[in-house]
Amino acid sequence: MRGNCYNGAAMKSVLYILFGLTLLIATVQANQQGVIVRQSTVYADATSAAASVGRVQAGVRVTIFGRKGGWSEIFSEQQGIIGWVRVYQVREGDFTDGAATTQQADSRGFLAGLASFSRRASGFFTQDETATSAGTATIGVRGLSEVEINSAQADFAALQKLQSFASNAQRMPGFSAKGELKAVRIPHISGPK
Amino acid sequence: MSRMLLPWWLMLTTALFPGVSAQAFDLDGLLKQIDETGKDLETGLDKLDKMRGKVSAEEEIEIGGNLVSGLLGAAPLVDDPRLQRYVNDVGFWVAAQSKRRDLPWRFGVIQSNGINAFAAPGGYVVVTLGLYQLLENEAQLAGVLAHEIAHVVRKHHLTALQKTMKREFWSELAVDVVDDGKDRESLRRLIGSGLKLYTTGLDRSYEFDADLRGVVLAARAGYDPYAFLDVLTTIDSINPGSPELSVLLNTHPPSAERLDQLAAKMDGRLDSYATGAINANRFRQVGVGR
Repeated sequence: MRGNCYNGAAMKSVLYILFGLTLLIATVQANQQGVIVRQSTVYADATSAAASVGRVQAGVRVTIFGRKGGWSEIFSEQQGIIGWVRVYQVREGDFTDGAATTQQADSRGFLAGLASFSRRASGFFTQDETATSAGTATIGVRGLSEVEINSAQADFAALQKLQSFASNAQRMPGFSAKGELKAVRIPHISGPK
Repeated sequence: MSRMLLPWWLMLTTALFPGVSAQAFDLDGLLKQIDETGKDLETGLDKLDKMRGKVSAEEEIEIGGNLVSGLLGAAPLVDDPRLQRYVNDVGFWVAAQSKRRDLPWRFGVIQSNGINAFAAPGGYVVVTLGLYQLLENEAQLAGVLAHEIAHVVRKHHLTALQKTMKREFWSELAVDVVDDGKDRESLRRLIGSGLKLYTTGLDRSYEFDADLRGVVLAARAGYDPYAFLDVLTTIDSINPGSPELSVLLNTHPPSAERLDQLAAKMDGRLDSYATGAINANRFRQVGVGR
């Protein structure tokens, strides 16, 4: 049995499988699954000046190839359409089983956040022993409820503490350089284009 | 006689005090009474005019500080100096791109599971831990802070407060004549009204305005402005029945409507800035409670 591990042919096939798996993972990571969240016009290029290649309805599952500016390139197998929609018109995630499953391949994916939110929410609800289910667990939820805000006593010591964390203009060159942030002059948007 | 011309305040007074005209049979007495009420009204209006749009930056900062102290009384700061400093750096950098860059900008993360963010006059911005933990990168944080910064720059809360005070002023007038107003008492009432604003919300048009101004501020700061739309999309995907969302949804238009309006107004005009920084790594490194 042990000898088989050193068998050249077996070793090769293991390598092939590993290589294949790597390719598969890479492909899965590059192409996200997603769903159209609002009825959208699909354009031939990442600009509304490009030709329209059709429309996709809300709820249609798509493959997302990537993003360019405010646009995502999608493929709808159902409608046989490939092209570009606005980023907010499509949501990343595998919705095949009716519920979103976590797929954290892209830092922009909303599911990572959503999953961490539900983890926190469930963590919280289990800590609260008076809560019987998530749906009725409003009692004990720490938060800025109407009552809490309106009955709050001003905490001036906390205000002092808040002041102590303030940033200043001297910190900005270092902060922006490390984050590769460059200030740009852009006028505010008003009225139609 | 000019008195026969029924000055505007006489008509107003008769409307406000129907009992006065019914009870007073003596014309001179009535006119005298009306004269006095008219003077009181004018004094009140003067006060109101003085207040409207003429709050100095110092007064604004004082009002804001009081409001934030109230919020901090409801939910304390997260005990994580590194996180607080990071949020202040991001906020300061974004605020520096606004026309009110000289305000003493202060940012904070507060210990609350509620998903929300608050701005107060004078440069105060507070984000709940619940919202912070939904975010995935610095550009999204910048987008949220930029929305709140826009509220401050545009003096949305101050204007709303002045409108509230105006209503209170009138309702009080109907019961009594104008009181001289002790400063402390009026400040206390101002704070009370201000805190109430955080649970009743601003005018919808102010929210849409802050959304649009915010994405421009974020783009000016070198961030991808679409990151804020990602945040709205995330919020839109959470069950609206979640207790964490209750205050936010009570005080803001639905996220889907905000997304639609915002995208329509942006109309692709910021697309060339969508390649701006995301800074997911720096955001993750700071984390919470590390």
